[in-house]
Amino acid sequence: MHRDRFYTKPGLWLATAFSMLSLGLAAPASAADPVKIGCALPLSGGSATVGNQTRVGAQIAVNQVNANGGIKALGGAPLEIVFADTQSKADVGVTETERLITRENVAVICGSFNSAVTFPATEVAERYKTPWIVVGAVKDEITERNFKYIFRINNKATFDAREQIDAMDLLGQESGKKPKTIAMLYEGSDWGRSHAGNVKKIAAERGYDIVVDEAAPPNQVDFSNQLLKIRAAAPDAIIVALYTPDHLLFTRQMMEQRLDAPFGIHSVGGGMEDPAFYKALPQAAVDYAFVQEDWQIDKIKTTQDPLMLDANKKMEEELGYGLSAYGAQGYSSVYVIADALERAGSADREKLRDAIAQTDIKDGPALITGYLGIKFDEQGQNTFANGVISQNLGGERRTIWPAQSRSADVKPVWPVPGWSER
Amino acid sequence: MDFFILSFAVTNGLLLGGIYGGVALGLSLIFGVLRVVNFAHGSFLMLSLYISFWLWSIFGLDPYLSALINIPAMFMLGFAVQALIISPLIKRESALVVEPLSALLLTAGIFLVLDNAALMAFGPDVRAVQTSYYMPSLMLGGIPVNSQRLIGAVAAVIVAAALSWWLRTSHLGRSIRATAQNRDAAAMSGINVPFVYAVTFGIGCGILGLFGALMSTFIPISPSIGLSFGIKSFIVVVLGGLGSIPGCIIGGIVIGVFEAVASQFVTATSAAIGSLALFVLILIFRPAGIMGRA
Amino acid sequence: MNTKTIPLERKDVEKTTSLPLRPSSLVAVVVLGVLALVPALVSDSFFIHSLIMILFFAYMSTAWNFVCGYVGQLSLGHTMFSGAGGYCSVLLFTQLGVSPWIGMIFGGFLAAFLSVLIGLPTFRLKGPYFTLTMIACAEILRIWVENTNDFYGIPLKGAEGLVVPSMGDDVWAFQFTSKIPYFYIILIMLAVAIFATRLMERSKLGYCLKAIRGDRDAAEALGINPTRYTTLAFAISAFMTALGGSFYAQFFRYINPERNMGLELSIDMAVMSIIGGQGTVLGPLLGAAILVPIAEAARGTLGGSFLGLHLVIYGLALIACVLYFPKGVIHPLGRFFSRLFGLKETRG
Repeated sequence: MHRDRFYTKPGLWLATAFSMLSLGLAAPASAADPVKIGCALPLSGGSATVGNQTRVGAQIAVNQVNANGGIKALGGAPLEIVFADTQSKADVGVTETERLITRENVAVICGSFNSAVTFPATEVAERYKTPWIVVGAVKDEITERNFKYIFRINNKATFDAREQIDAMDLLGQESGKKPKTIAMLYEGSDWGRSHAGNVKKIAAERGYDIVVDEAAPPNQVDFSNQLLKIRAAAPDAIIVALYTPDHLLFTRQMMEQRLDAPFGIHSVGGGMEDPAFYKALPQAAVDYAFVQEDWQIDKIKTTQDPLMLDANKKMEEELGYGLSAYGAQGYSSVYVIADALERAGSADREKLRDAIAQTDIKDGPALITGYLGIKFDEQGQNTFANGVISQNLGGERRTIWPAQSRSADVKPVWPVPGWSER
Repeated sequence: MDFFILSFAVTNGLLLGGIYGGVALGLSLIFGVLRVVNFAHGSFLMLSLYISFWLWSIFGLDPYLSALINIPAMFMLGFAVQALIISPLIKRESALVVEPLSALLLTAGIFLVLDNAALMAFGPDVRAVQTSYYMPSLMLGGIPVNSQRLIGAVAAVIVAAALSWWLRTSHLGRSIRATAQNRDAAAMSGINVPFVYAVTFGIGCGILGLFGALMSTFIPISPSIGLSFGIKSFIVVVLGGLGSIPGCIIGGIVIGVFEAVASQFVTATSAAIGSLALFVLILIFRPAGIMGRA
Repeated sequence: MNTKTIPLERKDVEKTTSLPLRPSSLVAVVVLGVLALVPALVSDSFFIHSLIMILFFAYMSTAWNFVCGYVGQLSLGHTMFSGAGGYCSVLLFTQLGVSPWIGMIFGGFLAAFLSVLIGLPTFRLKGPYFTLTMIACAEILRIWVENTNDFYGIPLKGAEGLVVPSMGDDVWAFQFTSKIPYFYIILIMLAVAIFATRLMERSKLGYCLKAIRGDRDAAEALGINPTRYTTLAFAISAFMTALGGSFYAQFFRYINPERNMGLELSIDMAVMSIIGGQGTVLGPLLGAAILVPIAEAARGTLGGSFLGLHLVIYGLALIACVLYFPKGVIHPLGRFFSRLFGLKETRG
């Protein structure tokens, strides 16, 4: 707890004084030059919602850092964030990365949600020896290429799938009741399909039966066909990986058709981690739903950190809803960069890279996502990355997994009541 | 496959197919008269969905009532788009070689502008109308039938019937049909062709205004929703025969039922491939569609 | 020369712009020659990268124009060929170790085969019907690849896309750490495509295509077999498009169905060609040279602050071009320059 105080204002002043001392008195003339951070995100096209929330989250973090005196180790240099639109296309993402590095001369880049963009774009960054903090992209291979400049704070895809099954196992142990059959419905592009593949593998190991395995074709405007298929197979639980529009439609139609799954809906984020999703549905449609996401949804309720509370408020002012998984990840990545800049004492890419590699964050705003810590392995993967699984209970999403993050007053409902009993 | 599931699938397919048909009516009408393939058709639907959403969200207007504002608004928009943007092209092309392709490109440009202007104006968030009353699903022998969808499908049939009747009997309707048959002859017999074109385009969009209002009760709205319905509409219209009004509804139902039943046997993605393949085969072997005259 | 280049009547303009090919090939040689010198003068790597993107789109658009611009059919499914070509060369390389230089030729033939398969029954469809068929065919291929992880032992890897393993600087593997080799490769590809278009325009094939475009029935009455010529041109176009797809795969070392078989890239190819001037040798190059920088500049300066504004600009440009320069920007531009040179000649 006392560690938190480091981030309050007096603490910051202390830190400033300290870092000035450590720099000696020779503050370079250009010390107050802003440090440029590049941020490549899908700001138009299908994933624009996500990109936009991440953008706002990152911008809030930058504003906070600057309001609190910038980067102390650099004589109070402010951060300047340059956003680039990848349009969710690999070639545009690569071109924009090239531009951020060579034209905008950014010290470090964060982004860019879509694995299909992040994968080739990070390679460009590696070639230019520019550090890249991966935000949102879960493709396993991104941090399995022996790259030196690529770091990922969030989960790998396999972790997401494993956590969902872990939660089922945990709830099964606690109550003695366990689903046997699982239906999977997922969006037909990279993210959904790779998640489904991982679930299939892990479910088989743990003794669950996959009875429905359906990808949603692109541009679908109706889910009654898939819902009917699920009804015919009568699975115990449904694992869903859909983006917001599809997820919304699916959830709505599931309510309209009164389709029961005794062990509930298990969403791996996508739609169900998007605040816009909840604004567009009646509460009854999302009661008891389980969501796995890189963000501890009740964090804002439990935290005392003024920065996080402020971030939540700013987000609400800007977008009409509080922090989301996407906003939190953008926010967190900027604080990871700020932390590394403080330790590097330089905006030099090489030094910054080394500082990021030695990151060891145990608390503070960078952990807004609900991770237990941030520390990278030699491949750049955060070893403390973990998702959080929440259940929608009485109109609130409360953490139920991992067990140590679950509040004492939270009692998961398992199995979930059918539509007729609600 | 058991009978219950199959009849459930057919019911779903009929409802959805009817709605597909209703949405495609405007596309078919505009093509039939102007010979313009309106690539921006889905974008107009997206706009009308937003109109109903905002009327509900700001003024609390019931989505069904919002049709009263939505239809005239969309009519005027369509009228203006035709009169201001597309008509110069048609005028020019009557002098040169007729190239319906540039019209297609023009509407592709409109599609880009509308979809992204909506993204700028409304933001990328998905929105949905939540009606204060909860319309219960009707039970049809154990099959829950969503009433909003049923209303949409029935409306499609009614609009199609009314439109055909109006085109046959009214003065303006007959002018439209005359212009569709032969633009120059119509012009010579005193029909104001540019006006007829603008009205037709307006009607095509006005129908979307109605369906925007009806569908806003059950479809989540985002700036990119248009393309999904646009592509579906093309398939429906080609299936039914470009320009044929009853063909449109039949095409919609065929594709709706086909996808619903097929996806019970194969994955939904294979069903989607199947419906695209069906579309290609129909174009090759029966280009006039099921109902069109060859 | 004078009477041809100084247009007196509208009719004359139509004639002259399609007739004097000599200036256009001169322009082509000059433009490509200057481009070839660029890497020697500029070392800014983003600039080179942007030029590569412009040349890539110019190449794809030229390949598209090879048939569509001359036959007057609007294909919005050309990514089918670039996707097939790219997948073919990448898979041959990763699975069998075949050099992408050879793989891309195989990819080209695969695409050409595909185009004949699809072209034969569909080419007689007119206008929008053809366009819609092509969209549907490309979508079928895309959805199929997205949902197929393994096809008789061939690891297509579905929506995930294919990664070309990095080999460092390896000419045989079509991989370079510098951007300059890629620049020259795509420049040469573009030069060949432009030369081929020019050659085609003057060949029997070109005359037949022109006749078919003018009046299909009349051409048929003259003994020209429209199906034969259009299919032949279509196959060549598909072949060239496939080579472009392989270049994309090698340059980014990554290829996925959503982008490389999607509708958007097809629209790009067509729109650039049309705005530049379809059915002309240099139109596609001009279109790419105008549109790619506009998109890039708009994205760079506005993309972060206004979601989607650059696409609105793109759309408005398309609308304006269709309305005011229906034959492409190259025509008024060509007229302007020929007038300029015409004046000089009289003075001299």
